[in-house]
Amino acid sequence: MTQKVIQIPTLNDGPHDFARLFGIWNEVNDYFEDIRFDFSRCGFLRPNAVAFLGGLARLVESRMGSVTFDWSTLRHGAVMTNLCQNGFAGTFAYPSSRWDGNSIPYREDKTLDMNGIMDYLTYNWIGKGWVHVSDRLRDAIAGRMWEIYSNAFEHSGTEVGVFSCGQHYWRQNYLILSAVDFGRGIPANVRSFLRQYVEEALVSKLSGAACLKWAFERGNSTCTGGVARGLGLDLLKEFVRLNQGKLEIYSNDGYAIVDKDGERFENRELAFEGTVVHITLRCDENLYRFRDEAE
Amino acid sequence: MRLSIKDQIGPRCIIKEDGQKIYDAIHGALQNGETVTLDFEGVSQFASPFFNFAIGQLLKDIAEDDLRRLLQIEHLNETGRLVVERVIENAAKYHGDKDYRKIVDDILEQQAKESD
Repeated sequence: MTQKVIQIPTLNDGPHDFARLFGIWNEVNDYFEDIRFDFSRCGFLRPNAVAFLGGLARLVESRMGSVTFDWSTLRHGAVMTNLCQNGFAGTFAYPSSRWDGNSIPYREDKTLDMNGIMDYLTYNWIGKGWVHVSDRLRDAIAGRMWEIYSNAFEHSGTEVGVFSCGQHYWRQNYLILSAVDFGRGIPANVRSFLRQYVEEALVSKLSGAACLKWAFERGNSTCTGGVARGLGLDLLKEFVRLNQGKLEIYSNDGYAIVDKDGERFENRELAFEGTVVHITLRCDENLYRFRDEAE
Repeated sequence: MRLSIKDQIGPRCIIKEDGQKIYDAIHGALQNGETVTLDFEGVSQFASPFFNFAIGQLLKDIAEDDLRRLLQIEHLNETGRLVVERVIENAAKYHGDKDYRKIVDDILEQQAKESD
């Protein structure tokens, strides 16, 4: 069998880095045999890249291909240490077990495990002690973050599940969480939903940005069944704005960003089938208080 | 009728399936004009899917004023209350028969303006 070698470059979490990730997806997407990920040019991997590469590996495997992460090519000790600490390397055949540190564990959810995911959000992410919040506030934040997983499992049609990873960056004092699925994508879902009511010629003109904007509006949902829905993204973005953090969603040919300046929606040239939700929260305790909590 | 949510569901009111269980337990009583009390003592985590199905769904055939009068909620913290209010407000405005043709036309018009 021909093995395809994919070079993994240094991957941060800016738009250019996501473009490179989607380029890797594109290289792999139509290939149904053996893939080897080579790290000889990789100097850094942020958690979005970890979650994405893990999910991509499972996607290839689900199509009867095989994936090898060639750990012998990873020469940066700090990167290797981080991938061992968060459990990613151990998940993909490197002989190590994860341990506690500044990383938030790499996680695969093939099905919606409510208690598993809520424990992860509550105790591995927001409740880890990097932000001093009350238990009540910790639980409130975890509940808002749940909306990401709920949406992914309900809407994406993913066959391999949802892949997550995070990190606490202590110098800049922020917390990151990335959740990735390789389902249909939000714009594709919105177009598919609207096609039931409006002719294809019009629906096909809806841009990725416009579809994301529609999905972000309170009360809009592609769910049928007669029950009012469509609050999850709205609740999540409200919390991110209060925190003065950042919520970014890459999905198909669309990109959305919510931060303290508002919401912006853009079209992207390089599309991919799936959705990445990337959240950055500030660890400033002054941003985390209920009205009735003492100073 | 009184329901302890912790006893029925547990400390996490998160998923729609659990919301549906509560709806199934209380809908009939509310439709008959009975008061129903939901006690959230011991429940610490909340998300919209649960409340969409437990409470929002009730507004399909119970008027909002009647629901607010008959459905009593106890020991629900600020987080939960905010989500419930949002759910009720959303469900009260919900119409299953939106004019999607107009929605698409409006979106395309906005797209055209933005690309000019």
